[in-house]
Amino acid sequence: MTARLQPVAAAAIGVFGFSMLATGTTLGSGFTGAFTPRFGVDGLTAFFLGVLGLVTAPTLAFAARYLEPGRRGRITSVLTGVFVLVLAEVVCARDPLTFLAGWELMTLLPAAIILVSRSDDEARRTVFLYLAITHLAGAFTWVAVLLAAHAGALDSTGAVAQGSGLQIAIALTALVGMGTKAGVMPMHSWLPRAHPIAPAPVSALMSGVMIKVAIYGLVRVLVDWLGPLPLSVGILVLALGALSAVGGVVYALFQHDLKRLLAFHSIENIGIIVLGLGACLVLRSRGDETWAAIALAAALLHTLNHAVFKALLFLGAGAFERATGTVEIDRLGGLLRRLPWTGGAFLVGSLAIAGLPPFNGFASEWVTLQALLHVPAAGHLGDGVAGALALAALAATAALAVLCFVKVTGLVLLGPPRSEAVAAATERPLPMRAAVVSLAGACVVLGVAPGLLLGSLVSLAPWPAALPTAIGLHLPGTGSLPTLGIALVLVAVTGVLVVARGRRAAAPAPTWASGQLVEPSLLWTSAGFTKPLRLVLAGVLRPERTIEVRATRGVVQEVAYSGRVPQHLDEQLLAPAVRVALRGAAHARRLQTGHLGTYVAYLIALVLVLLTVAKVGLIG
Amino acid sequence: MNALSLALQLVGGLALAPLLPGLVQYWKARLQGRRGPTPLQPYRELRRLWGKSSVDVEGAGIVYRLAPAVTAASLVLAVLIVPVASGAPSLGAGRDALALLGVLALGRFAVTAASWDVANGFALQGASRDLTIAIFTDATFVLSVAVAALVAHTTNLATIVAGTAGSAVWSSPSLALGAVAFLLVVVAETGRQPIDNPDTHLELTMIHEGPLLEYAGRDLALLQWSAAARHWVVLVLAAQIFLPHTPGVWAQLAALPVRLAILCAGLALLETFTAKIRILLAPRLLAVGAAAALLGVVSWLVQIT
Repeated sequence: MTARLQPVAAAAIGVFGFSMLATGTTLGSGFTGAFTPRFGVDGLTAFFLGVLGLVTAPTLAFAARYLEPGRRGRITSVLTGVFVLVLAEVVCARDPLTFLAGWELMTLLPAAIILVSRSDDEARRTVFLYLAITHLAGAFTWVAVLLAAHAGALDSTGAVAQGSGLQIAIALTALVGMGTKAGVMPMHSWLPRAHPIAPAPVSALMSGVMIKVAIYGLVRVLVDWLGPLPLSVGILVLALGALSAVGGVVYALFQHDLKRLLAFHSIENIGIIVLGLGACLVLRSRGDETWAAIALAAALLHTLNHAVFKALLFLGAGAFERATGTVEIDRLGGLLRRLPWTGGAFLVGSLAIAGLPPFNGFASEWVTLQALLHVPAAGHLGDGVAGALALAALAATAALAVLCFVKVTGLVLLGPPRSEAVAAATERPLPMRAAVVSLAGACVVLGVAPGLLLGSLVSLAPWPAALPTAIGLHLPGTGSLPTLGIALVLVAVTGVLVVARGRRAAAPAPTWASGQLVEPSLLWTSAGFTKPLRLVLAGVLRPERTIEVRATRGVVQEVAYSGRVPQHLDEQLLAPAVRVALRGAAHARRLQTGHLGTYVAYLIALVLVLLTVAKVGLIG
Repeated sequence: MNALSLALQLVGGLALAPLLPGLVQYWKARLQGRRGPTPLQPYRELRRLWGKSSVDVEGAGIVYRLAPAVTAASLVLAVLIVPVASGAPSLGAGRDALALLGVLALGRFAVTAASWDVANGFALQGASRDLTIAIFTDATFVLSVAVAALVAHTTNLATIVAGTAGSAVWSSPSLALGAVAFLLVVVAETGRQPIDNPDTHLELTMIHEGPLLEYAGRDLALLQWSAAARHWVVLVLAAQIFLPHTPGVWAQLAALPVRLAILCAGLALLETFTAKIRILLAPRLLAVGAAAALLGVVSWLVQIT
């Protein structure tokens, strides 16, 4: 019963959010720095509620059939519902205390869900790492929000002086704290670990909505509360965005676990969103308010688009996992024929994430490219070069995403099945099918008519900005992107050409491979397809590879190959931090003797120190 | 005037495009002391292929079957976007330079995904190389287009043609640096030496030809037309933006055939004098182009600040 009600309630939240955004009304209280619980909905909150509802409704419908019946499944289902409510609470909170409380629950709930659904050692270690990283970073979020509240930035905009040390401190702590939660490189280490081990619908929610709520936090602090920021902060945000976009997709290419690959793509897309946000900050500090608002709208539009197609892809991965028992991409194959609905929807999601017309990723990446081009167009040397570099990085990211998703569709959906279980896979039940197909429909609608939304997103900027509403994207100073016209041309020409080509008279023939039979052992793998790139980037990635040849009496019996692309950021940045932390903990442990007397002595010493300090007049 | 420019854009892009690779092959043969085929050879091949029956690959599905049509449709879209003269109105697909990035990538996705569907190792070899080089081509493309867009203050291609006309824009080196970068984009997108060799059918070295191995008949005809249309799209951009041109629309239209012929001759000359470089060096070559375009952006910024 609750399983059926959950998607309906989520859909209601989505409808409420988008209708509030369309009408431009606000509800409830405004932001306050006081520590009393307040809730309210303004344009930005309404948009994120819309995103939440649009993604959550199909995901919860999917989860109802995905989760196993029984106690674990029921608990997971209930916790997932609570998780959704907490996400809604964070975007509706209007005072620091409820915001931060929701923020912490948002971190803790996925950990609980993962531990309910899996209790092996690996899952426990990963959850510990996830909690450690996000809690350390969470401290920065607390500092940022409490500093902003203390300075009165929540009560009135412009309370923090522009260019002051306080403003920069709040911006930087927010970038570290909320950036970690969003998975911005180099603070991303938890994300590719935690997403793959969660149940597929929870991965979809984490990637589709939770990290977007972190983006909400960043927009709230950097754009809304702080007012125009110094140029250097904007350039820093651009650099972080470019690093996440390129780094995320490059490491995604070398993953063999489909869910882990998708998790790295979340880092990439967060990078694209952050690029839009960075362009907004730079343009705003240069005084180009029209394009700053368009850049913000680009970031928000990509937030929505990524939420839709990433949830679709994670749910698709979950459906494939249920159908075949694996998410190892080298062991799937031919699923488009066996699961036509789920596979077709997954193909649409792949085209969308690769930024191809006529789907939604293309539209938002185009607006982001235009926004980045306007950074050099403002005509200042330093930020101009930064903008041009970010532009090239985004173009390269899009092409890398094409490479990656040609590989994914090829290995998962196309070609011959690569195992017995895959050959016997069958289509999933209706609720799972309907969930992915409806998300694919959203990819098409948002790709064909993004202009209907972009106008409202432009007006979300806290400064006056407006764009006439149209179906396509018509921005000043561009050749415009009539998305509907593009979609019609593509569909019509493809249709005409398919008809013109006619039916085939000849019988099918086997694949030609220089006269050799194409056997399963000769099929290409993920590692083979990405080898040219691995060689081109060898200087940066420093891939490791070992080949062992076992020969007896000069005759080769066996050749074993293993290769991996190490995570340098993890190994150079995270590993030393962990070592230092463990060493510190070893020292601190000496204080713990286990004798009651020692602890009483500590207490008495503490009281004495406090009394002395109070007597001297340092406190109190 | 606009009607003529739109007519030339459609007729040229859809019908005259195969003449461009034909001209390159013709001149290349002449430069190498051979008689070679006539420039109309691509039309003969298209007619021959259109009359032949296609053969499906066993086990291949809808992606393999749709790929030629989707690729051709994406190139039709690109032809609709790229104007042949300044001030040309939109044909329903917009006129945006940055939109070309996604439109051309769609064709690439279709063909390379199809090579997974037929599970042919040689096709996949070509596909993986094509997509790897495309990363660097796209970055170079976007930076060289950015130079032109900054000079002309818009990304509308019809306005960029107008904004880069005349001799005043050449007084600073930015557009020339953008042109150097775009030359490399032309070579990469048309699959010519030193990045790819269009004449080779040797499995181990080919890039663009690889994924086409399993196609025959009308499917192959569509893919060959698409390759020709890709010549049209990038050569028209090179001719009307990155070569010095006059502001008058009549003069632009009259000069276009001559400019395209010169560019084809230039490609033939390049193919005659350079050998194909190692595939892993192609990204470095394109990175040099990207650096040149970035320098173009810098020199534009220095000039106006």
